[in-house]
Amino acid sequence: MKQLVYIRMKKNLDIKDMREIRLKDIAYLSTLSHDLKSRLENMPIYRITKKDNNLVVIDSFLIVEHLTTQFNEIEIQLIGPTNTVIRVHKVRKHSSILLTAFAWIILFIGTAMTIVNFHYDVSMQVVQQRIHYLLTGEYTKYPLWLQIPYSFGLGAGMLLFFNHWFNKRFNEEPSPLEVEIFNYQQSIDNYIGHHENIIDEHRSPH
Amino acid sequence: MNTVLLIKLTEVIIGFASGIAVGSGFVAFLTVLGVIPRLIQLANNYHLVQLYGICAIAGALFGTYLSFTDIVSKQSIILLLLWGALHGVFNGMLAAALTEVLNVFPILTKRIGIQGYLLWLVMAVVFGKIIGSLFQWLILERL
Repeated sequence: MKQLVYIRMKKNLDIKDMREIRLKDIAYLSTLSHDLKSRLENMPIYRITKKDNNLVVIDSFLIVEHLTTQFNEIEIQLIGPTNTVIRVHKVRKHSSILLTAFAWIILFIGTAMTIVNFHYDVSMQVVQQRIHYLLTGEYTKYPLWLQIPYSFGLGAGMLLFFNHWFNKRFNEEPSPLEVEIFNYQQSIDNYIGHHENIIDEHRSPH
Repeated sequence: MNTVLLIKLTEVIIGFASGIAVGSGFVAFLTVLGVIPRLIQLANNYHLVQLYGICAIAGALFGTYLSFTDIVSKQSIILLLLWGALHGVFNGMLAAALTEVLNVFPILTKRIGIQGYLLWLVMAVVFGKIIGSLFQWLILERL
C-alpha cells in the first residue's frame, strides 16, 4: 500500500550562505511513519551556488517529481503555497546612520515643501481669512488663531492615521503602513514566483 | 417673461448638475483615500457607519453654506482654535493617506534597505508637515 505524505511548502526562506537545501528547510511534512518522515525531511533538494545570485524559487512540482523518482511507495498531497522563495543574504551590513539621516532630510524638506505648495494651490490663506471674518466679524490678513492650531493638528492627524508615536502605538491593530508594506512584499513574492520559477533539467538536484 | 424663466431654469439645471458632479467626486475621493474607514477603525464603532456618512454630507453642506453666505457671527477665540486644530487633523489624515496610497514608504525602505528606521522616516514626514505649515503662516506669508 502506498504511504500518504502531506507537504506544505513554506512561503519564504532566508539564508545567510550558500548551502544545501533540505526538504525540511522549505516545507512542512506530515505522514504516518516516523522513520519515513525523517528520511524525507533530510532529503537534499537543491544546492545553492554562486550562479543562483540571491534568489531561488523552488516549485512544489519539482519536489513531487524528485520524491516520486526516489521513493516509489509514497503518494504526495500538496497543500498551501505552490512554491518557496529562497533569499540569500550575504553578510548584511547594518543600515548606515548616514543614509538614514539623508533619507530623513529628504523626506522632511520634501513634505514641508509639498504642504506649502498645497496651501498655495488651494488658496488656504484666503479661505482662512474668510472663515475668520465669518466667525468673528473682523478682518485680519493673518488669521493665526486658525493657522497655528491647524499646523499642529496636521501632525496629529498623520500620527492618528499611522497609529504610531515613534515606537509607541495607540492600539493593537496593524497600521495602514504596515499593511501596505506587507502587501508590497507579497506582490514582489508573487512576481518572483511567476517569473523566476523555471522548472527545467539543470534545476533539479545534483 | 418667458425667456427669463427659461434662463432661470437653465441655471437651476446647470447648478444642480455641477452639484451632483462635485458631490459624487468628493465622496469618491474620501472613499478612495480611506480616511473614514480609518476613523471608524480607530473609534471602534463599526455599527455607526451610517452616521459617518451623514456627518460627511452635513459637513459638505455646511461648507457650501459658508462659502456662499455673508452672515457674520461673533464667536470666541476658543472656537477658532478648535476649528483650526480639527481642520488640521483632518488634513493630516488626508495627507497621510495620500503618502500611503502613493506607496512611498514601502519602496523607499526596500530600495535603501533601512527597514529598522521606518518609524523615524514617518516622523520626518510628520515634522516636515508641521514645520512647513508653521513656516508658511509665520514667515513666508508675512514677508
